[in-house]
Amino acid sequence: MTGRKHFPVCFMLLFLTMVAAPMTGYTAEQGLAEDVRACLGCHGEKGLSVKFQNGESLDAYIDAKKFKASVHQSLSCSSCHGEFSGQGQGHPQRSFRSREQFSSKSSAICRQCHADEQLKRSPVHASLLTKENKAPVCASCHNPHTLTSVAGGRKFSSEKEQCLRCHQHAMGIRLRSGDKVSLKVDAAALEGSVHAKLGCYDCHFGFSGSQHPKRNFNSPRDFSIAQSEACRRCHFDKYTKTLESIHYTLLSQGNLKAPVCTDCHGAHTVVQARADKLQSSKRCGRCHQDIFGTYTKSVHGTALVQDHNTDVPICADCHTAHSIQGAHTQDYRDKVPEICGKCHGDGTLMKKYGLSPGVVNSYLQDFHGVTLKLYRSQKDASEVNGSRKSIATCVDCHGIHDITKTTGPTTNLVKARLMKRCQKCHPGASDEFPDAWLSHYEPSLNNAPLVFLINLTYKFFIPFMLIGLILQILLHVWRYAVNR
Amino acid sequence: MATTSHSQIKRFGIGRIIEHQMNALVFALLVITGLSQRFHEYRVSHWIIQTLGGVDTMRVIHRYSGILFAALIVVHIAAGIYGVIIKHWPASMMINMNDFRNAIENLKYYFGITNHPALCDRYDYKQKFEYWGVIAGGFLMIGTGLILWFPVVVARFLPGEFIPAAKAAHSNEALLAFLVIIIWHIYNSIFSPEVFPLDTAIFTGKISRERMVHEHPLELAHIENVPVEEIIKHHPAAHADTTTRPGEGA
Repeated sequence: MTGRKHFPVCFMLLFLTMVAAPMTGYTAEQGLAEDVRACLGCHGEKGLSVKFQNGESLDAYIDAKKFKASVHQSLSCSSCHGEFSGQGQGHPQRSFRSREQFSSKSSAICRQCHADEQLKRSPVHASLLTKENKAPVCASCHNPHTLTSVAGGRKFSSEKEQCLRCHQHAMGIRLRSGDKVSLKVDAAALEGSVHAKLGCYDCHFGFSGSQHPKRNFNSPRDFSIAQSEACRRCHFDKYTKTLESIHYTLLSQGNLKAPVCTDCHGAHTVVQARADKLQSSKRCGRCHQDIFGTYTKSVHGTALVQDHNTDVPICADCHTAHSIQGAHTQDYRDKVPEICGKCHGDGTLMKKYGLSPGVVNSYLQDFHGVTLKLYRSQKDASEVNGSRKSIATCVDCHGIHDITKTTGPTTNLVKARLMKRCQKCHPGASDEFPDAWLSHYEPSLNNAPLVFLINLTYKFFIPFMLIGLILQILLHVWRYAVNR
Repeated sequence: MATTSHSQIKRFGIGRIIEHQMNALVFALLVITGLSQRFHEYRVSHWIIQTLGGVDTMRVIHRYSGILFAALIVVHIAAGIYGVIIKHWPASMMINMNDFRNAIENLKYYFGITNHPALCDRYDYKQKFEYWGVIAGGFLMIGTGLILWFPVVVARFLPGEFIPAAKAAHSNEALLAFLVIIIWHIYNSIFSPEVFPLDTAIFTGKISRERMVHEHPLELAHIENVPVEEIIKHHPAAHADTTTRPGEGA
C-alpha cells in the first residue's frame, strides 16, 4: 500500500488539471489534463513497450481517444502512476518480475479510490475480495485506460464477451457448504458446443449487462439442480419426459445425487448426446459403474468398446434417454421383448451379423409370449394387476447387461439360465422340461419333428374334412331343391 | 297317412337330453375360452379375454370346463357300457358295414343314380360320424389338455418336446372340432331344409313319425313291427317322379 502517501498529491494534481485543462488549445487531447498531454507525447505513439524479467512485454501505448472516453478521463496520469510526474526525475526506472506482478501492483492503486465498502456492494467484487491473494486483480477485467462502466456495458460486442471478460479467468467462490466452485468458463469449449450461438443470459436468466444478482446456494449440487431448470425453456419435450423418469422421482424424493440435465449433457460443453455412443454410455457409467463394467464385457458392450460398432445398443437404447423407467418394475420387464425386438426383429440388421430375425416372433407366438402380450393389453384391468405372474422374457435366458452369445462357449450358460428360469415358475422341473421350449427354432423334421408332423397333418386334415362336409351339405341342399 | 305322419315318437330320454345340453354348454365354454387364446391377435378375442377378467381367469374357466367335459365323457361311457352289458340296450351307436353302404347309397341318391336315400337305423352314418368324432376328439383334447396343464409332471416321463406337440394337437383339434360343429352339426340340426328352423328332438325328446320315415325307417319298422318296405311305401322321395331330373343337373 505504498500508494497511500501519494494520496494528497493526487488530489492536488486533479485540481490542477481541472483548472488548467480549459486553458489549453491542444486539439487531439482537448479536455485532458496537462500532464496527461505531456505523457501522451511519448505514450500516444505506437511501438512503445515495457519488458518484464520473465520475458513478457506490455504495450505502453495509450489510445488518447479511448482514454478520453473512459470514466477515468478526468484523472491525470500521476493520479494513479504517482511516482511519475513528467519532470526530469519523474520517470523512475522500475523492474517487475512479470506482467502479472505489474498488474497486481497497479491494481493496488485502484483501491485508493475504490474502497472495500464500495466494492462489496457488488456481489462479484465481494466474492473476489474474500480471497485477495488468489483473486484476479482489478486490471484483469478492467483496463484502467479504457475503462467504461460495467453497468452500462454497451461497449462490449457481445454479452458473451462481457461475461467472459471476467469468467475466462480462473475464478471461483466458496459456498456455504465449504465447497469451492470454479466460475471459470472455457471459452473454446463454449464455442465448440451446440449452444455456441446462445448468449450467456439465455441460460443464466436474471443476469444481464446491468444485473449480476447474488445467488444463495448451499452447495454446488443445489446450483446444478436449480440451473438445469433453464434447459426446459427450449427443450420442453425432453423436460416433460424426464418428469416420468426414475431419476426425477429420486430427485423429488430428496436424492440429490440423481442426475439432472447438465450431469449427462454438460453445461458449457453441450454436444450432441448420441453423437458418440461410447461416450454416451460412459456417462451412464459414471454413476452405474458396476452395470457399465458388466455391459462392457457383454456381447454388445465388447463390440462397442473394442470394435467401435455403433449397431449395438447402448444404455439409452434400452432404457431411453429421458423417460428412463425403473428397470425393476413389472411394466419395464414386460417391455423387454419389444425392446430387444427393435434390433433383433430387424431383418436387414440381423442379416449383417448372421442372426435370425425370427427369434422375436417365435417367442411372441409361443405360450409365454402370448401370455405376456395379453397381460400387457389388459394392464388396466384391475383384477389382473395384483396377482399376475411374472413371465419369462428374453433377458431371463440371454442375460441383462451380461448378454452373451448363444453359440460357442457360452451356450451352456444360456441353457443354465433357461433351466433356472423354468424352475422359478415350474418348481420341480426336470432336466427334460426346458426342451418344451423349442429355443426359437421353427418346428421341422430336424427340430421338434413331432410338433412339425402334427401341424402338417392338421394342415391337410382340416381343409380335407371341411371341404368334404361342405360338399355333403351342398349335395344335400341340391337334392332337396331338385326334389321340390 | 296324415294322422300317422304328424304323430310323435319318443326318441330321447331325459338323461340324454340333459347330457346334450350340458355338452353343448361346456363345448361353447371351451371353444370361447380356448380359441380366443389361439386367435389372440383378433379384436374379438381380446374383447372376450377382457370381459372374462383377463387371461388367467379365462384359463381357469377353460380348465374347469375341461374337467366337466372329461366327467361328461366318463359318465357317458360308463352309462353306455352299463346299459349295453347289464340292461341289454341295443348298441345302436356302433359303426358297422351298413354305415359305409348307406353313405355310398346316399351319395348315389344325391347324384340321382338311385331314387331313394339310404335306409338308416336309429342313428345314421352322419350322426355316428359326429358322435365318434366327439368321443375320439374328446379323448385327444383331454389327454393333450392334461399335458398342458401339468407340463412338469409330463416332462418327468416324456421328452420335453411332447409339451409343444400337445399344444399343437390341442389347438388344431379344437379348431377342427369347432369348425365341424359350426358347419356340420349346425347345418344338420338347424339349417337343413328337413329340420329348419330347428330340430327339436334333443329338446323335447320326441320326433315326428314323418321324419322317422325319412331318416330312420329301419328303426321305425322295428318300433312298429312291420317290414321296412311297408314304411318306405309312403316315402315321398320314392314316390316322386324325379329319377331323371337330378341327372340333368349333373
